[in-house]
Amino acid sequence: MKFRRIFFTLIITLFISPAITQQVFAGEQNDVKSELKELRKMMENMQQRIDELEEKNEALEKQAKEKEETIVVEEETDLTVIETPATERQGFLQKALNTFNPEISVIGIFAAAWYSQDDPIVFAEVDPENTGVNVQEIEIGFQGVIDSYFRFDTFLVFGVEGVELEEAYGTTLFSLPLNSQIRAGRMRAKFGRINQIHRHNQNFVTLPLPAAQFLGEHLNPTSIEANFLVPVPWYMELSALGGSPDVETPTFDRDENANNLARLLYIFHLANFVEVSEALGVSLGGSFATGVNNTGRDERSNMYGIDLFAKYRPLENNPYQEVMLQSEFMYLDADTPEENLENWGWYAQLVYRFAKRWNTGFRYGIIDTNTPVQEEAGDIDGDPAGLFTLIRNEEGEEEEGMLGLFGRTYRLSPMLTFNPSEFSRLRVQYDYLNQDFTENQHAIFLQFQYSLGAHGAHPF
Amino acid sequence: MKHQLSLKNFVLCMTLALASIIFTGQSVLAQVNIVTSVTDYAAIAKEIGGDRVEVTSLAKGYQDPHFVDAKPIFITRLNKADMLIYNGLDLEIGWLPILITGARNSDIASPSAIGHYNASVSIKDFLDVHTTPIDRSMGDIHPGGNPHFMLNPGNGIPVARGIAARLIRIDPENAAFYEDNFKNFVSALKLKISEWETELAPFKGTEVVTYHKLWSYFLDWAGFKNAGTIEPKPGIPPSPSHTADLMRNMERDNVRLIMAANYYPTKTASIIARKTGATFLSLPVMIEGRDGIDSYIELFDALVGEITSALKNTKSSNQNAAEFNGG
Repeated sequence: MKFRRIFFTLIITLFISPAITQQVFAGEQNDVKSELKELRKMMENMQQRIDELEEKNEALEKQAKEKEETIVVEEETDLTVIETPATERQGFLQKALNTFNPEISVIGIFAAAWYSQDDPIVFAEVDPENTGVNVQEIEIGFQGVIDSYFRFDTFLVFGVEGVELEEAYGTTLFSLPLNSQIRAGRMRAKFGRINQIHRHNQNFVTLPLPAAQFLGEHLNPTSIEANFLVPVPWYMELSALGGSPDVETPTFDRDENANNLARLLYIFHLANFVEVSEALGVSLGGSFATGVNNTGRDERSNMYGIDLFAKYRPLENNPYQEVMLQSEFMYLDADTPEENLENWGWYAQLVYRFAKRWNTGFRYGIIDTNTPVQEEAGDIDGDPAGLFTLIRNEEGEEEEGMLGLFGRTYRLSPMLTFNPSEFSRLRVQYDYLNQDFTENQHAIFLQFQYSLGAHGAHPF
Repeated sequence: MKHQLSLKNFVLCMTLALASIIFTGQSVLAQVNIVTSVTDYAAIAKEIGGDRVEVTSLAKGYQDPHFVDAKPIFITRLNKADMLIYNGLDLEIGWLPILITGARNSDIASPSAIGHYNASVSIKDFLDVHTTPIDRSMGDIHPGGNPHFMLNPGNGIPVARGIAARLIRIDPENAAFYEDNFKNFVSALKLKISEWETELAPFKGTEVVTYHKLWSYFLDWAGFKNAGTIEPKPGIPPSPSHTADLMRNMERDNVRLIMAANYYPTKTASIIARKTGATFLSLPVMIEGRDGIDSYIELFDALVGEITSALKNTKSSNQNAAEFNGG
C-alpha cells in the first residue's frame, strides 16, 4: 500500500513538474527574447559608436603625428621649447626612485677576530670586542632633501651596546651671508678628519688610538654648527660648533652637567685644501675643542688637533691607482682637582690602492701622557678625589673611558682590503699593541661589510 | 642759492659717477660663470656663450666620470657658479651631490633652479633602460638608462639647445648672441653628422667588442652591433673565464674590432686583440680626452676617423689573407 502511494506521487510529480516548469518558463522566455533583442540593439549601437570614435581617434592621431613632425623640425632650433619634463617619459623604476621617499641605506660591518688574550684591551666600542665573530655595527641611514631650504641626514647605529643615534642633522641649502652653511642636530663634529668619517668609509678595522682614546669613538654632540667658506684662492672653511655632548666621551662631560653656556662644548675647525697638481691634493686642518670634564665642577678639558690628508692619484694611465696619507695629532689638556693631565697622541696611515678593487695599508698610532696615572691609586670607591674617579663609568668598568692614561701605548696595523664591488668589502688586518705598563697584545681580524640601498657619496 | 646749486650738481655728479662705475663694472664683470661636471658640456657651453661666459669643468676629459674625487676645491668653484651643467642619469652620483650640498649656492642647488641644468632632461630616448626589476648582482648599472648619450652626436643638438635656452634665461641681455652661436653650432654639427654617417655607412652591421657598456649610443648611431664586453658585468673588472668565453665568441663571429674608453686599463684588451687578431682602439670618449680634441666636432672626427681607418685596414688585411690563402 505504502509503496503504491509513493509510486503514484512519484509518477505525478514526474509528469506534472515539466508541465509546470514549461508554463513558468514560457512566460520568462518571452521576456528573455525581448531583452536579448534590446541588448542586440544596444550592442549594435555601441559598435557603431566605437567605429565612429576609432575613426575620429585615427584622424586625431594622424593630425598629431603630422604636427609632431613639424614640431620636431621646428624644435631643432627653437629655443623657447622647454625641456620635456622628466616625469613624462620615465619607466616605473625611475618613478619609484623619484618619489619623495628618503634614500635608505643599511650597512653591516662584522669582524671575525682572534686576540692573544682572552680579555683583550679594546679601545673603541665598535672595535671587535674579543676572539670570535663580532658585530661591529649596523648602520641605517635615511637621507633626503626636506624642502628648498634644508636637507636632513639621519644615521642610526645598532651595535653591541644597543642603538645609538649617531647622526641626525639638518643642513641649510640656501645661500646665507658670509658664504655660511648651518648644520643643526646631532652630528659627528668637525674635529680633525677621522671623526667626520663614518665607520664604513674608514680604511682600517680598528679606530686609530688617539681617536678612540680622546674622542671616545666619535664626538657627536647635539649642537648647532656654522661653517664659513673663507674667500681665499684655495678652499678654506672655518667651522664653529656649540652644543651638548650627550653621548659618553672620556674627555667631555655629558649634557646633564653641561648645564650653562660656559659649560657647553665648543668646537672650532679650520680646513684647508690645496690642489698641488691635478693628481695631488693636500688638506691640512686645525681643531680646537673646549668643554668641562666630569672630574669636578668647572674642571675643563681643552683639546687641540692637527689633521693632514694627502691623496695622490694620477688621472691618466693608471685610473684606479692612488696613494693616501692621513695623519692626525691630538693634544689634551685636562684640569682635574688633583693635577693637570697632559695627554697626547697621533697616528699616521698610508693606504695604497694598487688595483680597482684592492688596497693595502699600514698604520701607526700612539697615545702617551706627561702625567701618568699611578696604578696603585687603585681603589675606585674609596678615593673620590683621586685620579681613578676619572673613570667615566661609575659602575666600575675599568680602563674604558678613562680620562687619564697609565703610560705609553702604541699600535702597528698592516691591512689588506678587497672590494668585490662598491657595495661589499673584505678586509684582513693584524694589530700589534704595545703598552709600557702591561703585556703586549696581538690580534688578527677578518672584516666583512655589506652596503644595501642608496648609493652613498664618496667623501674626499 | 649758488651754494645749493653746486651741492645739487655735486650730488648729481656723484650719482652719475657711481652709476657709471656700477654699470661699467657690471658690463665688464657680467660673464656668466658656468661650472660643468665633465668636459663635453664645458666645450659646448663655451661655443654658445663665447666671451660672455666663463667655463670650467670639474672632471678632466681623460678621466673616468664615474669615479671623480670630490675635491673640496670643487665646492669653492660651485659656490661662485651661476650655472651648473651635468650629465645626470646617475653618472656623477658618487661625487657631485655632496659637492652641490657643500656649495651653499641657491642658484644651482635645486633641480628646479634656472642655473641647475641636468643635460639628460633634454634627451628623448635613452638606451639600456631597465624596465624589469633590477638588483646590484647585475653590476654597476644605471636604472634610468645608459648615461653616455653624448656619444651619439645627434644628442649634442638638444643638449646645446638646452644650454642656450638656460643661458638666455640667466642672461637675457645677450639672448641674440647666444641664439646665433647656438644656430651656428647646430648647422656645423649637422653638416658633420651627415659626413660622418656617409663615412660609417659601408661598415653598417660591424660587430665590435667594447670594454664597458658605454658605447651603446655610438654603436646605435653607427649601426654597429655589440658582440660583448670585456667587463663581465658593468663595473666588474675582467675575469679569466669571461675573457676566454669572449675570445671564443669573437673568433666564432669573426669580430675584428675592440673599442675602449682611454681611461680604462688596456692590458686585457690588448691581450685579447693579439690572440684573436682583432684591432684594439683605446679611444677618447670626451672632449679633451686627448690632446688636440677641443670641440664636440673634433671628438667625433677623431672617433669616426680612427674607427673607419681601423675597419678599412682589417678589411684589406682580411682580403690579403684570403688572397694569400687562395694563392
